[in-house]
Amino acid sequence: MDAHVLRITRWEVQRLVRLRWLPAMVGLFAVGCLVNAFLGLRSLRALGLTGIGASLDGLVAIGVLLPPLLALVLGAGALSGARERDLLSLLAAQPIRRSTIVLGTFLAVSAVVSATVGLGFGAALVVLSGVAGATDLWGLTVVVLATLGTSVAAAAVGVLLGAVTSNRLQAVAAAVLAWFALALGLDLLFAGLAPGLHLGPRSLLVAVLVNPVETGRVLTLLATRSDPATLGPFGAYLDTRFGLPIATAMLGSALAAWIVLPVTGACLALRHRDV
Amino acid sequence: MHGLSKRYRHVPVLDELCFDAPAGALALVTGTNGAGKSTLLRCLAGLTSFTGSAWFRGERLPGSIATRRHIGYLPQDVGFPEAATVGEVLELFCGLRRAAPDSTGLADGFVPDADAQVGTLSGGQRQRLATAIALLGRPELLLLDEPTANLDSWARGSLWETLRAHRREGATILVASPREDEVVGSADLTLNLSADPVRGPHALAELATVRGGA
Repeated sequence: MDAHVLRITRWEVQRLVRLRWLPAMVGLFAVGCLVNAFLGLRSLRALGLTGIGASLDGLVAIGVLLPPLLALVLGAGALSGARERDLLSLLAAQPIRRSTIVLGTFLAVSAVVSATVGLGFGAALVVLSGVAGATDLWGLTVVVLATLGTSVAAAAVGVLLGAVTSNRLQAVAAAVLAWFALALGLDLLFAGLAPGLHLGPRSLLVAVLVNPVETGRVLTLLATRSDPATLGPFGAYLDTRFGLPIATAMLGSALAAWIVLPVTGACLALRHRDV
Repeated sequence: MHGLSKRYRHVPVLDELCFDAPAGALALVTGTNGAGKSTLLRCLAGLTSFTGSAWFRGERLPGSIATRRHIGYLPQDVGFPEAATVGEVLELFCGLRRAAPDSTGLADGFVPDADAQVGTLSGGQRQRLATAIALLGRPELLLLDEPTANLDSWARGSLWETLRAHRREGATILVASPREDEVVGSADLTLNLSADPVRGPHALAELATVRGGA
């Protein structure tokens, strides 16, 4: 990889980890993971059951909500903040490609968010390690990977928002709106429209693929559930129509596209824009 | 540069500028606030698109990465992250320019202490840090936007001394400043953007009032 990309990445990581509000967000996520793990175990014990299924559900829910929000806000604020302070123009005046700045920023945000995910899930794993069996390891691994994929995709979208907006306020506002749309709005919209517009399974599949948060969630459900009844309508359709391997590959490819396309868009936007 | 023009949403900021600064020249770009001084430097630094053409080292700007290695740019007011240290900032830009920190030619004490946090620096000290970045590797074309705006008299004198030395080595220096007295006795050329924008083929004739450099 280009040494300049790594220089920008290191610089940006240094800046991000010094943000005053970041430890609070990381702490909130870690505490959320711990609470989920404890409550999941307790509810299963109360029913006389064993395993970590309930805890995994909780981790999936929190994993596809908080880290993507963090990634969107950090990604959106990075380039737009640098533009606002005229630091972006000083960087762009150096003998480097503008895509170097975009890639370095994206990698830095991805690294910080991945560390946050690692810390939160790591804390939960400590709690779950006493009861988790070898068969649970696959589920845990999928939850971690899908959360990382969703968060990195959100980081890519955030960086794109930072590249196309004029100032930091605009960029962060757009990031929060995007989070609401991806985490809640699109699902509600499609759920509301589906009966009226007679949207079939294919349309609903598209609804999953155009939303990286939903893609990550369904991917996790598909990989961790053996009973089709618990997959939900999207997961059940994917499982029965394509089978688990192809469905997993489709969702994984959708997540990869959600990473590559926004980063490419951000590179193009910064290349053709005045800074 | 020839016929260099820039518009922001149909409002012309720079209109058909023609200007030739030979190697080793110090040109003062002056004019009232909003006349387009900073925009001109940003065009030449490759930060802002423009129509017309500008050439440096036989290459049309914004130029290749190899050419941009020979261009140093100082924005008017750059905000480094408050928690970063001077050393971290210099390390980044030294890496990007592949230049040593002591390659600026600036006097000892001009650049703030490497361990100092940006947040603890005064406006003048931040300006010194940004100036050092522009001078890293002693570029052949220097684009300086109000370089002495926040500097005390020692720093101002020291900077001009460095720039004169730099110019003797063959560097071309464009200094944007609203005050003409800024570089009295030092500038070879003056480009006044507000009073009578330099247009078309008359530009070189108008700018032929080359004064002897210091």
